[in-house]
Amino acid sequence: MDVFSIPLLAPAALIAAAIAAFMNPGGRPGLVPRLAEGTAIAAFGVAVVSLLVLLTQGAGTGVVAGVATRLDPVSVTMLLLVSFVGWVVLRYTATYLDGEARQGAFTGWMALTLAAVLLFVQAGSLAVFVSAFIATSVFLARLLLFYPERVQAQRAARKKFVTARLGDASLIAAAVLLYTGYGTGDIGEILAAARVGVAPDAALWAAGFLALAALLKSAQFPTHGWLTEVMETPTPVSALLHAGVINAGGFLLIRFADVMVLAPGVLAVLVMIGGFTALFGGLVMLTQPAVKTSLAWSTVAQMGFMILQCGLALFPLALLHIVAHSLYKAHAFLASGMAVEGVAATRRPGPVAVPSGGAVLRAFVAALVIYAAVGFGFGFDGKSPQAIALGAILIFGVAYLLAQGFADAAPTVLTQRTALMSVAASVAYFALQTGAEALMAGTLPATPVPGPLEWALIVLAVISFGAVAVAQAMFPLWAYHPAAAGLRVHLANGLYMNAVFDRILGGWHIRRID
Amino acid sequence: MTHITENTSLPAGTVMAAAGAAARAIPPVWPLASSVAVNPFLGQTGETLAETGARLARVAGLPVTMPREWYLSRLEAGRITDADLEAALAASCHAARPASVSDLKEAAARPRRRPHALPTVAEMASDHCGLDWPGLVADRVSQWAASFFDTGQALWKAPKRRGAYAEWRAVATHDLTPEIHGLEGFAAHVAEAPEHAEDAIARAASRLGLVDAALPTYFHQLLMTMGGWAQYARYQLWQAELGGGTDPVVTEMLAIRLLWEEALFIQYEEAILHRWERVRASHAAPLAPSEDLVVDEILQEAAERAAQREIAATLATQPPAPATERPSLQAAFCIDVRSEVFRRALESVDPGIETLGFAGFFGLATKHRGFASDVEELRLPVLLNPGVCSVAGGPEIEEADRQARFTARAKRAWGRFKFAAVSSFAFVEAMGPVYAGRLVRDALGLEEGKLPDGPAPRLDPALSLSERVGAAETVLRAMSLTEGFGRIVLLAGHGANVTNNPHASAYHCGACGGYSGEVNARLLAALLNDPEVRQGVAAKGIEIPGDTLFVAALHDTTTDTVKLYEADIDAGQHKALLGDVKGWLAKAGRVARAERALRLPRAAGEAEVAARARDWAEVRPEWALAGCRAFIAAPRTRTGGRSLEGRAFLHNYDWRADEGFGVLELIMTAPVVVASWISLQYYGSTVAPQAFGGGNKLLHNVTGGIGVVEGNGGLMRAGLPWQAVHDGEGLAHEPLRLSVCIEAPREAMSDILKRHDGVRALFDNRWLHLFALDEAGQVAWRYTGDLEWEAVEGVARPGPVLKAVG
Repeated sequence: MDVFSIPLLAPAALIAAAIAAFMNPGGRPGLVPRLAEGTAIAAFGVAVVSLLVLLTQGAGTGVVAGVATRLDPVSVTMLLLVSFVGWVVLRYTATYLDGEARQGAFTGWMALTLAAVLLFVQAGSLAVFVSAFIATSVFLARLLLFYPERVQAQRAARKKFVTARLGDASLIAAAVLLYTGYGTGDIGEILAAARVGVAPDAALWAAGFLALAALLKSAQFPTHGWLTEVMETPTPVSALLHAGVINAGGFLLIRFADVMVLAPGVLAVLVMIGGFTALFGGLVMLTQPAVKTSLAWSTVAQMGFMILQCGLALFPLALLHIVAHSLYKAHAFLASGMAVEGVAATRRPGPVAVPSGGAVLRAFVAALVIYAAVGFGFGFDGKSPQAIALGAILIFGVAYLLAQGFADAAPTVLTQRTALMSVAASVAYFALQTGAEALMAGTLPATPVPGPLEWALIVLAVISFGAVAVAQAMFPLWAYHPAAAGLRVHLANGLYMNAVFDRILGGWHIRRID
Repeated sequence: MTHITENTSLPAGTVMAAAGAAARAIPPVWPLASSVAVNPFLGQTGETLAETGARLARVAGLPVTMPREWYLSRLEAGRITDADLEAALAASCHAARPASVSDLKEAAARPRRRPHALPTVAEMASDHCGLDWPGLVADRVSQWAASFFDTGQALWKAPKRRGAYAEWRAVATHDLTPEIHGLEGFAAHVAEAPEHAEDAIARAASRLGLVDAALPTYFHQLLMTMGGWAQYARYQLWQAELGGGTDPVVTEMLAIRLLWEEALFIQYEEAILHRWERVRASHAAPLAPSEDLVVDEILQEAAERAAQREIAATLATQPPAPATERPSLQAAFCIDVRSEVFRRALESVDPGIETLGFAGFFGLATKHRGFASDVEELRLPVLLNPGVCSVAGGPEIEEADRQARFTARAKRAWGRFKFAAVSSFAFVEAMGPVYAGRLVRDALGLEEGKLPDGPAPRLDPALSLSERVGAAETVLRAMSLTEGFGRIVLLAGHGANVTNNPHASAYHCGACGGYSGEVNARLLAALLNDPEVRQGVAAKGIEIPGDTLFVAALHDTTTDTVKLYEADIDAGQHKALLGDVKGWLAKAGRVARAERALRLPRAAGEAEVAARARDWAEVRPEWALAGCRAFIAAPRTRTGGRSLEGRAFLHNYDWRADEGFGVLELIMTAPVVVASWISLQYYGSTVAPQAFGGGNKLLHNVTGGIGVVEGNGGLMRAGLPWQAVHDGEGLAHEPLRLSVCIEAPREAMSDILKRHDGVRALFDNRWLHLFALDEAGQVAWRYTGDLEWEAVEGVARPGPVLKAVG
């Protein structure tokens, strides 16, 4: 066994835990919960060792018993992330599920799902990649139906099943095309060939299917619906799903980034769908009164943004987004029981100061000034237009923070603090982005120089995100106008995509007892 | 759409009276930020358990007792004796009761028929077409109600200015979902509906062909199909009525649900009319408990009588000799059953310690504004209106208050930045990695749990001296604490120390409106330490020694630690004693934790209890009031030195000092009623968790900052989560209606019942059992209803010792 196969120990440990768990499937299954947590810690240890191997030996592919694993900055990042989140959710599960009749089985499926994700992110061959991708979704489905008698769970599972199988089929098609195009199943070799410009027709088609699989996997419009309905299972599953599984779509685009950049047309589609989903999901999220549902819509939006980044060929930033979002969302789900206190806390300090149009304008100007200042600090030169545009989009978000402090009714102290927070946030993400780009340089392809299509999309993205950001900042001034009431209803229902999907799949039909 | 139904016409007054009665048939549910236990049978206290069973079976298919096996296993184990059965049978007021104990046993051995609700129009439509209309209606109503009742989760709030019915119509006329699923013209149906809810109700009732006798249970049923949403509306009505007003919101909810029934009826009329005619006739038929229900009620009564024998036996054991010396520490705790464990532990630590029990709001029903907060917190029993107002701190903290508000507002702005549409992306990219640290912190429970602190509260507006003296005298007399003051008198409120738990307030003090009790305790301590007040009460015959110091405290029921609010007082000459007190409290905490650890899953010993408070994944941080079964109002000597297993509310009461029985009246009409709400909430959450329980904590999804739904959405769930009454292997709560034991003359109690119909109904229909203790503190008399009493036989007969969990 060579050093590049070391990461394989991570899924192996969790599979061992899963076996032990399935041997004690019932309630209070003895040492199983602690064993599962222990193997997750071991998996994290394996990820750390893999990092050391990477630092000393460089990237490479190892094969053990026909299972090829790829060790490079992308896979090591994901291994660290997934095993860490895995530890947190398995530790949580040990306490949370205590006393549940099928605690052992639950722990087993959790461990198995984690093992599949860990294998997926380190896959070195197309066969391993596709198998692990499908296995993840199959195991996860068992967790989503942990309470099989819940009709809402069945309804969501039905939608998920259709979406997932379409995703599987797309990925299989992509794998077959890649294999035909490059004559090898070794992912490292495929990427190397693509990097030097080998672009057989099959590869271009493969890029299309990869994109389709990614859109389906990462709950992009209009197939996002299932994700907003799978809170029908204990909270750790949601944490694992939103932090470890849902970003598989983005990961596969990043993994095959060298292939993806060969197909600018496909990337353009990703920009459009990802961008739309990001805005759509973000707006729907605003209307959701239940905390987990709101978090699920937030994930839809965040995945959209990540797909947008992939479409702009900003792969290191997309990877950063996956890591950052996973950590945030895992915590948000696991801590969602704090929502009662959270809502109560927002009411205590009195009414929110509503910014006027002028304040919003000042906020945007100030945000752009911060952007320019921080940008020059980190250096604009060498940045692609795509990256600069993305920075602008993010700075629109910061403007919202500023606008709250610029509201006429806001006291000076609040203005100062929001300004300070805005600068801190701007510095933080520029630093993180610079870091991500540096870490992935050489591993992920550079962002290509934009052509006319790319320029058009960049402008479109900046304008639409800007418009929503302005609308958002001026929110209280228009959102309660009767004219907006209908819009709110349609958005709160996610533009009825789930209703239509349910109708087609017969989701509300009852199984007749007679 | 065709209209082939004959329209009946009902007088508007009749319909609205039925709607109003239906609104009162469902229990209110308080928002989770400050939730209190509610008797789920609040609307049925005028009926017996069996009658209620008949009603709730018809409207919701609910059982009101445990399954037969539960009683049978107790019979087999000898915990319920034949004598219990005989007595329970004799006490039954129902004509349909079995003729003899052997008939009763025979009937009990037969499985009872599962209760079935009458179908709604939605259910009949569903049976006809195979589409889950009841589910869809619940889904649509919930989707709207969750937004309408939201108190701040969504940044884009739903409009609510015009009231429930009008706002729902505005939503329903835009919502395309019903039509996507095949309810033709629903939006138009809503658009054309009457503008006022009353008219919509009357129109629907008439189009559905309902006669007036059918309205009560049909309306009740429709409100039940809206679960916690209707109950939350009922809460708004409760609050409005308490303040002397009213609120049409429950009726409006009924109108909304009726419009759905009407629309479905119009669409499926031909297919379901025949069946509907029978159903509405069944609604019009009078309610009568079936033999099954009567047997269930008798079995339940027998189980309670068995428990009452155990309580009586405990009270019959020889009490320890009362201390004669002046106590160094008197500690007053809330009547909450958790206090019993701690009080017993504390008394065992040092002979110079005496404890008292009193409702945890300490007689000060305050509307309180906390530090740096605009929110008015009603820290008082929910049956009452606030009597005083208070705020945290005085002018000296103004600057700190302002700074704290700036911090809170900046934090809030940051929170909005996190959740808003475009900025959430910037937030994640900038701050996401920080959450790695937070995950580690929370996974390992590294964050310290803080008990409430902050500046001492003060009454605002301040009371005049005579008002303060009056308040102090009332409270002291109500506590039966008018002489024998210790050197330190601890006033301990209680609160729970839990994290990431939507039901946190359910672990707090019910008498303080679901908040922790430190504010009320601190207010009272300040009042009683005031030299002017002491002079005033001395003039009224209550002599508080100059060296008595009142100290406010908070009993953390999750960790059994007690925090003293030392900053409020000038310890002076009490410094040394205060040090002793802290030592005693720490020792008592260890004893109490060791006892509680026996009941808690995954707690091998005393040392493992405290960590539960900080574990974000813990669904059973403590058992709260699970197991409660008795309420005892008597001097502490009647219960001291004996274990009541953390299952009894203990209220200090000395009737000899209660001239005119004013205090007795207060006890029977306030703490007893609150205790009945708690006991019956546990009862309902155990016997009918599907409707009166809060559901599975593993699936909870906090909605609107006020409640929880299970999973994706749907009906809000009121009541206790299953994990709060079940330990994963068995019930942690025995569903027994509370036995109230009061040491007072029977005539005085009868007299009070005569004057309070609502309280009397609780006892007459046996939602509570009432006993009079005799001169020796023994259970001597049982209240049998209609102001009658009977002697209790065999007082000293020892029963089997009962473990805390059944």
